[in-house]
Formats: sequence, structure tokens, C-alpha cells
Amino acid sequence: MKTTVSNPSGWKSLITFTVLLLAWLSGFSSRLFAVIRFESIIHEFDPWFNYRATAYMVQHGFYQFLNWFDERAWYPLGRIVGGTVYPGLMITSGGIHYVLHALNIPVHIRDICVFLAPVFSGLTAISTYLLTKELWSAGAGLFAACFIAIVPGYISRSVAGSYDNEGIAIFALQYTYYLWVKSVKTGSIFWSCLTALSYFYMVSAWGGYVFIINLIPLHVFVLLLMGRYSNRLFTSYTTFYILGLLFSMQIPFVGFQPIRTSEHMAASGVFALVLVVAVLKYMQSVLSKAEFKYFFTFAAVAAAAFVFLTVVILTYLGFIAPWSGRFYSLWDTGYAKIHIPIIASVSEHQPTTWFSFFFDLHILVTTFPVGLWYCIKDINDERVFVVLYAISAVYFAGVMVRLMLTLTPVVCMLAGVAFSRLFELFLKEEDGPAAAAAANAGDSDSDTEASGDHKSRNMYDKAGKLRKMKHEQQRDNEGLGMNIRTIVIVAVMMMLMMFAVHCTWVTSNSYSSPSIVLASYGQDGSRQILDDFREAYHWLSHNTDSDARVMSWWDYGYQIAGMANRTTLVDNNTWNNSHIALVGKAMSSKEEDAYKIMVSLDVDYVLVIFGGVIGYSGDDINKFLWMVRIAEGEHPKDIHESDYFSERGEFRVDAEGSQTLLNCLMYKLCYYRFGELKLDYRSPAGFDRVRNVIIGNKNFDLKYLEEAYTTEHWLVRIYRVKKESEFNRPRIPVADRSVRIADLTSKKARQRKKGSIKSKPTVVKGRKPAAKL
Amino acid sequence: MYFSLNILILAGLCCLLHSCDAQVKSKSPSLSERVQQLTELTLKKSVLRLNSAKFKEYVKATPRNYSVIVMFTALTPQRQCSICRHANDEFLIVANSFRYSQAFSNKLFFTMVDFDEGADVFQMLRLNTAPIFMHFPPKGKVKSSDTFDIQRLGFGAESLARWIAERTDVQIRVFRPPSYSGTMALITLFALVAGFLYLRRNNLDFLYNKTLWGIAAVFFCLAMISGQMWNHIRGPPFVHRSQSGGVAYIHGSSQGQFVLETYIVIVLNSAVVMGMIMMTDAAGRKNCDVRMRQILVCVGLAIVAIFFSVILSIFRSKAHSYPYSFLFK
Repeated sequence: MKTTVSNPSGWKSLITFTVLLLAWLSGFSSRLFAVIRFESIIHEFDPWFNYRATAYMVQHGFYQFLNWFDERAWYPLGRIVGGTVYPGLMITSGGIHYVLHALNIPVHIRDICVFLAPVFSGLTAISTYLLTKELWSAGAGLFAACFIAIVPGYISRSVAGSYDNEGIAIFALQYTYYLWVKSVKTGSIFWSCLTALSYFYMVSAWGGYVFIINLIPLHVFVLLLMGRYSNRLFTSYTTFYILGLLFSMQIPFVGFQPIRTSEHMAASGVFALVLVVAVLKYMQSVLSKAEFKYFFTFAAVAAAAFVFLTVVILTYLGFIAPWSGRFYSLWDTGYAKIHIPIIASVSEHQPTTWFSFFFDLHILVTTFPVGLWYCIKDINDERVFVVLYAISAVYFAGVMVRLMLTLTPVVCMLAGVAFSRLFELFLKEEDGPAAAAAANAGDSDSDTEASGDHKSRNMYDKAGKLRKMKHEQQRDNEGLGMNIRTIVIVAVMMMLMMFAVHCTWVTSNSYSSPSIVLASYGQDGSRQILDDFREAYHWLSHNTDSDARVMSWWDYGYQIAGMANRTTLVDNNTWNNSHIALVGKAMSSKEEDAYKIMVSLDVDYVLVIFGGVIGYSGDDINKFLWMVRIAEGEHPKDIHESDYFSERGEFRVDAEGSQTLLNCLMYKLCYYRFGELKLDYRSPAGFDRVRNVIIGNKNFDLKYLEEAYTTEHWLVRIYRVKKESEFNRPRIPVADRSVRIADLTSKKARQRKKGSIKSKPTVVKGRKPAAKL
Repeated sequence: MYFSLNILILAGLCCLLHSCDAQVKSKSPSLSERVQQLTELTLKKSVLRLNSAKFKEYVKATPRNYSVIVMFTALTPQRQCSICRHANDEFLIVANSFRYSQAFSNKLFFTMVDFDEGADVFQMLRLNTAPIFMHFPPKGKVKSSDTFDIQRLGFGAESLARWIAERTDVQIRVFRPPSYSGTMALITLFALVAGFLYLRRNNLDFLYNKTLWGIAAVFFCLAMISGQMWNHIRGPPFVHRSQSGGVAYIHGSSQGQFVLETYIVIVLNSAVVMGMIMMTDAAGRKNCDVRMRQILVCVGLAIVAIFFSVILSIFRSKAHSYPYSFLFK
């Protein structure tokens, strides 16, 4: 009994286990705000497609899924789904579903999808712990695990219901990096094979795998430059590269990209370089020094020239595709704005303000450079990796808000390093009596604190103390004094507590709205649920033909397909820019021009989102300029952005707005009969609450469309496109509508009458026609 | 920024009278002659400088079978119109791209009118700012869309070319004379670095100086997390001056930031980092005076606490309804 209690390693593993479990639990539960407030529902846009694909796979089986041609999207083109998705997410949740059902646990696939990301956040915390442990120490690892469990930068993509690739991809990313660091450290083929396998999972899950396949070669390259080449490095990289390449090509969507696109060329170049260096090292052991010097210069120049020329020639001949637009815009930061409006139009592709960094990472963002500093000061092979990871990730996060996600894990790791180093120094007692006091202080602290991770931090540090006891006694220099140490610990603890509180606040306020169900709060704090989206989609699914085609802006494509199960023209998989531009053109041209486009596209219903009644600012009128821009990109003759601005160059929908805007289809569909609506007794009729103006064009009729359905708060408006016959007939006044019958004889009389020829020519005999003269 | 000519109306009137007197009532040349003259002039110089007489002769005379793009500008140094010079450069790029392109024809001519040479033209068209780009179509009157909207579209050569294509159906592919400045700067930098390394070839220890690398890496991170990339892409103003003369250093909303604001943030962030390092190093160093270490720890802690609270309060002022603060409101 005594031995187990006093055995430090037993305590250590118990504490590690407890901390990680608590991190998992707190991470899981802080992601449940949306489920508790609303219900277990899939969020936003892309998750709806993932859910639909998963449900299809569960229903029809994996092979059917790979061969799935979805004729309900991109009408009339259709979409090959199996070959254009990363299937890792669907396979993961489908696999969980299969296992649970094999164990006779009947869980609906939707619930698995909703809770997948929160569950995986715990796995991410564990893999972060493992990675940080390899890089620095177990204590830093526990800090990092606690940070990443609750940090908003990661929660933003992994709340319950946000069923997206990123939810599992961050786990795969961290785990691949852990295995890679492990394999560089050990140089064993076993670990590199595991790295390649984990990389395979990452490739199947998220397009961000390109980050791995560039960061690992970069690590190897920098190690070579620093003269840190070793056989361990050679073994791990070559094994990883070959296996990883073969594995990644097994994903249908990736296909031959790893050998044909520029994004992957760095990996092959470094592979060649590692081989050359290995040969040189071998020659060095064989040749004499003078010979080797000569040989080295020659071989190095030749090899570099050869690799470079090969890549250039292959690119020139078209075997290697140049950088794709999305990646290119990371380097040339002005590129997307000019050339690809559809990328620039997405808010998550915008650059990042300092505010967003602080919002998502709080104290970690100001302390992770400290961890970076100590990693550089104390450099070794694997810390080179984390330094490169931090620098590249911070650059990418600066360019694109969305890539904050890849920065978050490394920030947590480095901040964990910084804090663990601080606490290690300040909690470690340097002299006898002070030690006992500090330990007591630590205990009382940990008892009073409710938050799981704070408690765990103290417990970890206690473990550290216990471990250090033995060699502690040999040293006898003076310490800092108990007071100062306590003050520092309490102050830093308070800041960390603020971090925990901040995380909860941000999660609860910013990242937990499903955006499909909206909530508004009244003066007295009462909550009103606006369920207009689902109302409209259910209306579509119950009241329209099952093959009806619904036109809407691409944001709503996945939701219409997922919830209403109707055919859409464009959706969030923005693969065909010209098709989107056509829809944009229809929305931004006049009704009669739009009708021609809609007829050519076989549109039955048009769906618009209108927030003017409740003040929902993300509606179609606010997105309208992007529709115009995208349409102008493809149809510069017909659509001019400048036409949609008023004389003073403003975009406004009131009486001063441009006539083109006030008569385009989108305006008419949004504001049809809105001019008659008085929202409350103070505001005039037709008052738009988003733009805060009275609309400019109130009295108009729709000729080619008719209103089919408008939801309770007017958030979604659905129109039916009339058939040609419904409006093409000439209009006849009511008075003329009855057919005039001249003959008023009764039916009986008509039947009795013999047939006769009217005004029959009669021949009058013996008379000349009168001469006219 | 725009060069206002309102005060020069009087001068303009004088010029107008003067030129009316001076204008020789010569017989106006026929259409084919005009086209030929214009083409010859264009072959010499891609943008024709017009004074008021020439402007009337080539641009205002009817009939025409060619479009004319006119830049109204004020390039003389005493007008101090810096924007005119930039606009002129871009205009020249478009004109030259057209002049040396496959699409070159006598359907489109590029001209310019300087205020000091043709003030009465400005008067006649009631223009009182410069620069202005206008298109004079072969037939019909000049519409509002024949004036290029600089306010909204800027005066980049690409948008000019797009506007011209829209108005005249002549597609001009803008060909910028390749800018070697970036390449030159890179080569110079490399040469400097290489030269430096060569000079210090016997003492390359600084390359292994971890402090140097550490400072560089930390500084890069600080620059990125303070939103310098956002500044680079969006180009926000340095500070915001309101109408009442007040100066706002901090952008009021969470969507934007000013350049000075990011500098403030970078200073605050680096202060926190330094304080943290100071604290940790003081605790970690064993072979030093205890008194000194205690002071360092206290100073470090104070820096971390104070500057972190300052950041938090700035953050709070930008995020409305954010409830938490530390030390300061």
C-alpha cells in the first residue's frame, strides 16, 4: 500500500489520466451549448451536405457511395459525389454507426453526426498532449491538452452539430505530427509507417493535408541545412514519403494530384535531396578528404540543377499543374481579390485582424512567443519542427481567418511550454519550510477552484514536486522567497482563469448558434425562436413536386438538398463558376430577362432570404453585390456593377437607389408586397429593418412569377415561376369573355328546319341585268 | 486630393476669350483627313496632347467614325496634383498596350487635355476636378456612363481597359512594362547577404546564434498576430480623423483596425512576452544575486499583468458587450 502511494510514476500516470479525462469532458460539454439551447440539429451549410452524404452511405453502402452521381445538385449538370469529396468524415461516422448497431445500440446517424466533433475534440487534446510531451515535457503536454480542449479557435469549428471535415481533421493533423516527431526521434520504420497511415487518414478527411505534406519536408530540409542529418531522419522520411504518397493516391478525390501538382512537389524534391545527401555521406566515408571536396561540389551543383530543371520542364510541358488559385492566393495576397471573386466573397477567406487573434486565443496569443523563444533557445531536432510549424501556421492564419484553425494547436502547445516552464520554476520549492507552505497553498487553491483544468494543473505540479524531492535536497542556494512565488502563482492563475471564463463566454455567445434556427432576445430576456428556414424547407418538401428545381443563391444549396430534398442549381461546392454566374445574372437582371434564363434552366421555384422584417443582416440583399460581381465576371456585356450604385456611388434600396437595382429580380422578390406591410405603429410602411430605410420601389407586380410561400417572419420567400401559358394569353375584358350567339331560335326549331344555303344565288329568267352606262 | 479648379474659373474665362479670338477660322478638315492625321500622330505618340483648338477639331467635330478617350488632367507641377501623375501613368500603360497590340485600329484614339493648355475645354464641359476620363463615342451624345468613375473603380490600367472595352468594344489586354524593381531588390538583398557572409567567412558563428534567430522568429509571430497582414492586404488609414477634429487611434468595431492601432498592439504583446521571459529567466537563473532576481520577477510580473490588462481593455472597447476585464476597465 505504502509503495503504491509513494511511487511517483504511479501518481504521475494517474494524474495524467485524470487531467486528460477532465480535459475531454470539459471540452465535450462546453461544445454542447447549441444542443442544449436548441436541439440536436446539424448546423450551417456544409455540414448539411456531409450529413446527407453520410446518410446516403449508411443507407446504400460504401461502394454505392463511391459511385454516387447526385442528379439533385447542379441541375442540369449533376455532381459526381464519390469522386469529389473527402470521404474520411463519412467513413468515420458511418463506422461508428456500424459498430454501435453491431452492439445493438440503436443510435440514429444524425446524433452520431452531431456529436462527432465534440468527441473528437477529446482525441485532439490527447494527441496534443502526446506531441507536446515529445517536444518538451509531460507537464507542458497537460497544459496544452487543457488549452486545446477549450480554446475558442478550435471550438469554432467543432461545436456539436458542426459536422465538418475540420472537426476530425485537427485530430488527424496533431496525431500525424506526433507520430512524425516520434519517428524522427527513434528512426524506426514502425513509427514512420504509423505516420504514413495517420497521414492517409488525414488525406481522406480534409484538403488541409497539403499543410502536412509541405511542413514535414520543410522540417527535413531545414534539418539538412542545419547539418542535423542522421540516419534516423533518412529512414523516417523516406519511409513516410513513399508510403504516404501511395496511400494518399488511394483517395479518389486526390487521385494523381500528389505527383502532378505543384503543391506536392516540395515533398518529392526533398525526397531526392535526402537521397543525394545520403549518397554523399556514404561517399564521405569511402573517399579521401580532397577527393570528397571535389566530388561534393560537383554532385551538389549537379543534383540541385537536375531537380530544379526537371520540375521546371515538367511544369512547362504540363505534367505538373501550377499552383491552384486557392493556394496561390496564400502567397500573392492580392491575387484572389482580383481574379477569383468567388473566393474573395467568402468571409472566412478574409485576412485576420488582431482582434480575431485575441478573440480566438486570448492569453495564449500573447504568451506563445515565449514558448517559441524557449524552443529556439533549447533547440533540438523535434523542436525545429514545432518552430517551423508555428511560423508557417501564424503566417497562414494572418492571411486567412479560416486557417486560424491550423494555428490554434501550435499556439496551445507553445503556450503550454511557456506556462509549464513558469510553473515548474515557481512551484518547485527551493528550501525545506517554504516547500511545505507552498504545497499547502497549492492544495487549498486546487480545492477551491471549480474548473477541472485548473485543478488538474495544480495536481500535475504537485506531482512534479514529489518527483523532484530527492535531488532537491542536495542543492542549498537561496530561493526567491515564498511570498514572491505565491504572488506570481496566484496572479498567473488569475489570468488563466480569465482565459477559461473568456473561452466559455465566446463559445456561448459566438460559436454556438446553429444559424439554421435563429434566436432573438426580448427586452425582458425572454427568448424567441425563429424557425423560418426549416419552415420553408419543409414547405418545399411537402408542397412541391419531388423533381421540382429550386433556384437560390449558392449558400442555401446544401440546405435545400438536405432538408427539402429538392433539386438545386448551385450549391456550396462552388466548382462551376459560370453556372453560379448564370444564377447571379438571373438574380440581377430585370424580370423578363431573368425569366428567359430561368426557363432555359428549367427553374420551378425561386427561393430568396429576406431579413428586412426581423433585421437579419445576412440576407440576400446584403449579399447581392457579390452576385452582381460574380455575374459581371462571366457576363461583362449584360451586367455592370456600377449600374447598381446610386449617383453618389452608394448601394441603397431606398428611393435614391439606382433604377437598375430597384427593378432587378432579387429586389422584386425580396420586397414583393413589402410596401404594404407596416411593422409597427411607429415606423412607416415598407420600412426595412436591416438597411433602416423605407424601400424605394413599393408598388409593383410580378408578371412571370407568383408568390408561393412566405414564412412567418418573412425570412424565406418562395416564388413559383409561371409557365409560358399562364401569362402569354392576350388579356380579354370580362365583358368580351362570353361567346355571342346571334341565332336565338330554340334548339327544337333549329332541328326542324331544313338545311338551306344563305343568300343563294337565284336565277331570274328572261331579264337582262340593268345596264349601268 | 482632387485638384479643385473652382477658384480658377476667372482664369478659365480669360483663356476662353483669348482662344476664341486667336482661333483661326480655317476650314475644318474632312473625316478621312482627320482620321489620317490622328493615326499618324498616334503612331508617333500613343497619347495625343490636345489644346482647345485641336480638341474641337478632333473630338467635337462631326461626323466621326472613331471613339476618343480623353483624359482631362492637370500635370504642370505648380498645380500640385499628385494623383494626376499616377492616373497619367496608368493611362499611358493602357494607351501603349493598345498602340502595340493586335487590336490597334483607327477606331479608337487616346488623347489628353491639360488644364493649362485647354482651360476652356474644361469650362465647356463644366469640369472642375481633375483627373477625369471621358469617352466620346462616334455617334450620339456623351452619356453619364461615358465618364469613368474614378471614385469607385480607381484608375488602375485594368479597370480602365475594362471600361473602354465596355464603351467601345475594343478589348485591350493591358501589358505592363515588367517591373524589375522587385527582382532587383531581391538580387541586391541576396548580393548583400552573400557579400556579408563572404566578408565574415572566418567568423560565421552568428549564424548559430540562437538569440538572433529567436528574436527574428518571435518578431515575425508578433507582426502576424498584430494583424500586419491585414494592413498589407486592406490598406487601412494610419489613424482616423473625425470631422470634429478628434483623432481615433482605435477602430470602433471588431471588423477593422488602424495602422497605429496594430503598432500599439504589437508593443503591448511584446511587452507581455518580455515580462514573461523576464519572470521565467529570473526564476531559472541560479548563480545570481537573490535580490536582483526578486526584483526581476516582480517587474516581469507587473509588466505581464499591466500590459495584458491594457490589451484586454482595448479588446473590450472593440467588442461591445464583452463583460470581462482585468485590473483596468
